[in-house]
Amino acid sequence: MGRLVLRRLGATIPVLLLVTAGVFALLHLTPGDPIDAMMAESVDATAKEHIRRELGLDRPIPVQYVAWMGKLLRGDLGRSIRNGEPVIENVSRRIRPSLQLALFAMTISLLVAFPVGIVSAVRHNTSVDRLGTTFALFGICMPNFLLALLLIFLFGVTLRWLPISGYTDPLDELVDGVRSLALPAVTLGLALAAVITRTLRSSLLETLTEDYVRTARAKGLSEWRVIRGHVLKNALIPVVTVLGLQLGTLIGGAVITEYVFALPGVGRLVVDAVFARDYPLVQGVVLLIAIAFILSNLLVDILYGWIDPRIRSR
Amino acid sequence: MTLSRRAFLKVCAIASGTPLVTVGPRGMPVALAQAPAPRPSADTPKKGGTLRVGFYIEAATMDPHLSGSKIDRQIYHNIYEPLVTLDTKLGVKPGLAESWQQPDAKTLIFKLHRGVKFHDGTDFNAEAAKFNFNRMKTEPKSVRKGEVASIDTVDVVDPYTIKINLKRPDAALLATLTDRAGMMVSPKVIQERGSELERNAKGAGTGPFEFVEWVKDDHIVIKRNDNYWNKQGGPYLDRVRYRPIPDDVVKLQSLQAGEIDAMDYVQPRDVAAVKADKNVVVVDVPSLAAFSYQLNHTRPPFNVKALRQAVAYSLDLDQIVKGVWLNVGVPANGPVPPTSWAYDKTIPPIKRDLAKVKAKLAEGGQGNGFTFTMTTPNLPINGQEAEVIQAQLREAGITMKIKLVDAATQLSDGNNKNFDMISYQWSGRPDPDGNSYQFFKTTPGISLNWSGISNPTIDALLDKTREVSNQAERKKLFSELTKILQDELPMVYIIHPIEPKAFSPRVRGYEAIPDGMMRFKDVWLK
Amino acid sequence: MLRRAARARLAPFGAVVVVSAVLVALAAPFVAPHDPLKQDLGNTLARPALVHLLGTDNLGRDVLSRVIWGTRISLVAGFVSVAIAMATGTLLGIVAGYAGGRVDGIVMRLMDAVLSFPPLVLALALGAVLGAGLTGVLIALGVVYTPTFARLMRGQVLTITARDYVDAARALGAPGWRVAWQHVLPNAITPIVVQASLSVAFAILAEASLSFLGLGIQPPQASWGSMINAGRGYLQQAPWIVFGPGAALFMTVVGLNFVGDAVRDALDPRLRD
Repeated sequence: MGRLVLRRLGATIPVLLLVTAGVFALLHLTPGDPIDAMMAESVDATAKEHIRRELGLDRPIPVQYVAWMGKLLRGDLGRSIRNGEPVIENVSRRIRPSLQLALFAMTISLLVAFPVGIVSAVRHNTSVDRLGTTFALFGICMPNFLLALLLIFLFGVTLRWLPISGYTDPLDELVDGVRSLALPAVTLGLALAAVITRTLRSSLLETLTEDYVRTARAKGLSEWRVIRGHVLKNALIPVVTVLGLQLGTLIGGAVITEYVFALPGVGRLVVDAVFARDYPLVQGVVLLIAIAFILSNLLVDILYGWIDPRIRSR
Repeated sequence: MTLSRRAFLKVCAIASGTPLVTVGPRGMPVALAQAPAPRPSADTPKKGGTLRVGFYIEAATMDPHLSGSKIDRQIYHNIYEPLVTLDTKLGVKPGLAESWQQPDAKTLIFKLHRGVKFHDGTDFNAEAAKFNFNRMKTEPKSVRKGEVASIDTVDVVDPYTIKINLKRPDAALLATLTDRAGMMVSPKVIQERGSELERNAKGAGTGPFEFVEWVKDDHIVIKRNDNYWNKQGGPYLDRVRYRPIPDDVVKLQSLQAGEIDAMDYVQPRDVAAVKADKNVVVVDVPSLAAFSYQLNHTRPPFNVKALRQAVAYSLDLDQIVKGVWLNVGVPANGPVPPTSWAYDKTIPPIKRDLAKVKAKLAEGGQGNGFTFTMTTPNLPINGQEAEVIQAQLREAGITMKIKLVDAATQLSDGNNKNFDMISYQWSGRPDPDGNSYQFFKTTPGISLNWSGISNPTIDALLDKTREVSNQAERKKLFSELTKILQDELPMVYIIHPIEPKAFSPRVRGYEAIPDGMMRFKDVWLK
Repeated sequence: MLRRAARARLAPFGAVVVVSAVLVALAAPFVAPHDPLKQDLGNTLARPALVHLLGTDNLGRDVLSRVIWGTRISLVAGFVSVAIAMATGTLLGIVAGYAGGRVDGIVMRLMDAVLSFPPLVLALALGAVLGAGLTGVLIALGVVYTPTFARLMRGQVLTITARDYVDAARALGAPGWRVAWQHVLPNAITPIVVQASLSVAFAILAEASLSFLGLGIQPPQASWGSMINAGRGYLQQAPWIVFGPGAALFMTVVGLNFVGDAVRDALDPRLRD
C-alpha cells in the first residue's frame, strides 16, 4: 500500500508541471492586463509602470515562469496582484467555506441517493424504479444557476425560511452557519445526488446478479438482509469513485453556486482572479485545486483497497 | 374624524416612505430625492443600529491615494473627508476646509476647520494637508498624480491655512478635490503603517465613521465616530457593514428579503417592479455618467468622418433609452450630463435620419453599406443594447458584428486601439472637465482617448475650459465643444443614466448626490 | 419480459425527444412562427398568448421562435464538442494503449493534467484566448471532455489487445495500425458511444454554465443557455422568458440521458435478463 501511494505521488509531479505550464501559457495568451484591470478608471501610466516593474510583470514570460517556479520550490506561491496578500492566505481563507459546502452537499446527496438508489435497484424495472430514475435525473438536467435561482425564489423570497446570500462559518455560529450553507448545499447536492443515485443503482443491479447473491437468496435470507449483508459493500466501489472525483470537482468547481449565493469560496476566487488577470493568484489556486483533485483520487484508490481486498494485492 | 396620534405617525411614516421625485423636462427626475424626507416631530433621527449594505464587488484598497477602482470611493466617503464636498446640485461646499478663495487663476487658498482630529487622535491641520498633497504627487504608486498634476507647490500659511500654487490655471481642480484627490489621510498612519493602509484603514480618516475591519471577500465594517468634529446631524448609525453580492438578481432579492438594508444600484429592468414593492424604497439618483461608444479614428472604417456620422444618424437614441434602459436615464447629447451646470439643453441629441445615412455612406465611399465590429462588455444590459443597435444599423444598411468581452479584455482592446467601436461607460466626474478633457485631448500613448482623435480646434477649446474660471463662460465653451463633438464623433453618446439606489423602508435620511456615493453621516434606522 | 417493456418505456420517450429536437433544429426556418431576431420594443415581456405562444422577451422577440432556433446552437454545442472530444480522445487513447511505454506515459499524464484542471476555469481561459463565440465554446468543451474518452479508449485497447484473436492477427504479421483499425476499434466503439450520449447532455448544460459566466454564444445568435442567462433577471416579472428555453433544455437533457442509460443497459450483458 505504501509503495502504491509513493508511486502515485511520483506520477503526479509531471502532471502538476504540465498544469502549471498550461495555466501560465493560457493566462498570458489571454488579452488584458492585471494592472489595467485593477485601475480601470485611471490612466496614470507612470504609477502603473512602477507597479508592473515592482511585480516583475515587465519581464519576458518564460523568465516570469522560471521565477515563479523557483519561488514555488521554496514553498512560496507569491502574492495576489489585486489585494497584495500572499496567495496561500487568500486560498486558506477561501478553502473553509468551499470544504464545508462540499461536505454538506455530499451529505445531502448521500441522504437522497442511498434510499432512492437502493429502492430503484431492488424494485428494478417497476414504476418505482422509473420514478426514482427520473427523479435522479432532475438534479443534473437543469443548469446550476437556474436551480439556484428557483431555490432562492422559493425558500428565500417567498417562504423566507433560509437566507439568500452570504456566508456564516458554522464553526463560529452553528445554526446560522448551517442555514447560510443550506441553499447552496442543496443546489449542489441535488446534482450530485443524481450522479450517485444512478451509479449506485446500476452497480447494485450488477452485483445483484452475482452468484453469491443468488446463493444468499437461496438460503432464504430476506431481500433486505441480502442487500445489507452481501450487496451493498461490493456495490460501493463505483460510488466511491464518483464521490472521489466529485470531491475534487466540488472544491474548485462550485463556481456558479458560490457566485450566485455570494459565498467566498475557492471557485469564485479563481474565476474572479481570471477576470482580474491576477496571474499569481490564478496559478496558485489552479495548482492547489489540481493537487486536491489528485489527492482525492489517490484517496479513492486507497479506499478501494479497503473495500475490496482483491484490489490491494494487485 | 380625528386620527389618533399614533395613527397619524403611521401615516407620516408611510407617506415619507416614498421618495419625493419631481419630474423635470424630458422626463428627467431632477430630484433630489431625499429618501424619506425628515419630519421633525414624527420622525426624529435616532442613534443606533447596523446598516447592511450590498455592493456588487469587493473594494480594492483602503488607501485613497492608491485607489483606481470606483467601488472604493463608496467606503471612503464615510471614513475619509475631502477638503470640499458636493451638494445635491453639484455645487461645491465646505468639507474639511471651512472656506476657500482664489485670489488669482493660479492660486487657491483653503481655510481649514479647527478641532478636527483623525481617528488615531492626531490633529488635522495645514501640515497634514500639505503632507497629503505631497504624497499624492510623489508616491510612486500614487494614482492621484494626474488629478493633482496642475498643483505646483503647497504652502502652509498658518496652522489652519494652506495655499496651493498652480503650474497653470485649472478651473476643474476645486471639483476634483471633492473626491479622492481631496481626501485627507492621517500622516501618522501613513508614516507608521503606510504599507498596511491598503488593507487596514484604522485611525486613518477624519470622517463620521471609523474603519473597524475588513474580512476579505466577506465584509467591511465601519463604526460611528463619536468624536466627529461636525456636531450638526449625524452620525447616527452604530455600524455600517458592507458586503459584496456579485449577482444582481440575488442582491435585489437579499434586499427584498430583508438581509440587507441598502444597495448601490438597481438594474433598469427591476426599477418598475421594485418601486411597486412596499418593502423597498427606490431613490432615483441622477448621475454624472455618460455612456457611449468610442469610434477608432486610427483605422478603417472609422478613420472616415462620413462613416462615423452614418453610424450616428442610424441610431434611434429614444428607442434605445426606452427599450433597453426603460427610461432609467435620458438620451445623451454629449459628454456633459443633465445634472451638471454646464449641461446645454438647447442642443438636442443626434436624431435618427436614414436619408442622411444614405448620403453619408455615399460620401464615405461605402454606398452599399459596410461592416464593422462592436466590442462591448458581456453584461446583460450591454448585450441587449448591442442587439438593438445592431438591428437599427441593419435597417440603415450597415452590418455590425458584436464581440462580447470581459472587462480586462475591453480595457486592453481599448488601450491598444484594437477595436472599431467600443463601449465606454464613464461613471462621470463632478466637473465637466472630467467627462471631456482626457477623452478628446490629443494624447500620444495610452490614455482614455481610445478613439485616437487629434483635432487642434478641440485641443484649444479644451485648454480654454481650464483657463477660464467664470462658470457662465465655461458653460459656453462646453456647449461649443458638445456641438463640435456631434460633428467629429470621437464618441457616439447614448445615454446619461440614472443610478437608482434601493433601501429598506427603515432607512431614513439618505441624501442623493449625483456622484452616486452613499454618504451615511445623516442616515438612521427607524 | 414485462419488466423489460416497463423499463423500455423511458428509452423510446428519450429517443422521441432527442429525435424531435434534431428535427426541430434542422427545420427551424420552417417551424418557427416568427423571425427570432425581430425586435419589437413596444411589445416587450408580453405574456404567452396565441400570437406569441411562449410570450416575448425583454426586446420583444418571440420566445418560441428563439427557442426553436436556439435548438440548433445548443445541439451543435453539445454534439460537435463531444464529437471533437471523441475524435481526439479516441485517437489519443488508441495511440497510448497501443504504443505503451513512454508514449503512453506522456499522453496519459497530459490527460491527467487536463482532468485535474478545474473544468470551468479551463473553459474560461480557453474561451478568453480563442475569443468568445461558438467556436471557442466548442473547442473549450472539446478539450475538457477529451481525457474521459482517452482513458476509456486506452482501457479498451488494453483489454482487447490481450485477447487471443488480436494476438493471432499480430502473429500473422498484420501491421499495428491495421490491427487497431480492424479489431480494436470495432470492439471498443460501444462503450465510447454510451459515454458520448451521456457527454452530449453534459456538454449542453456546460454551454449554459459558460453563458452564465459571460462566455459563449455571441448575439444575435442564442442558445438555450444564453437565453436562460439573459432572462434570469426577469424570473420574477416574466418567468416565461426562462421557462421556454429552460423546458427545452431540461427535456433534451433528460431525453439524452434516457437514451444513454438504455443503450448502456442494452449493451451491458450482465444487465440483460
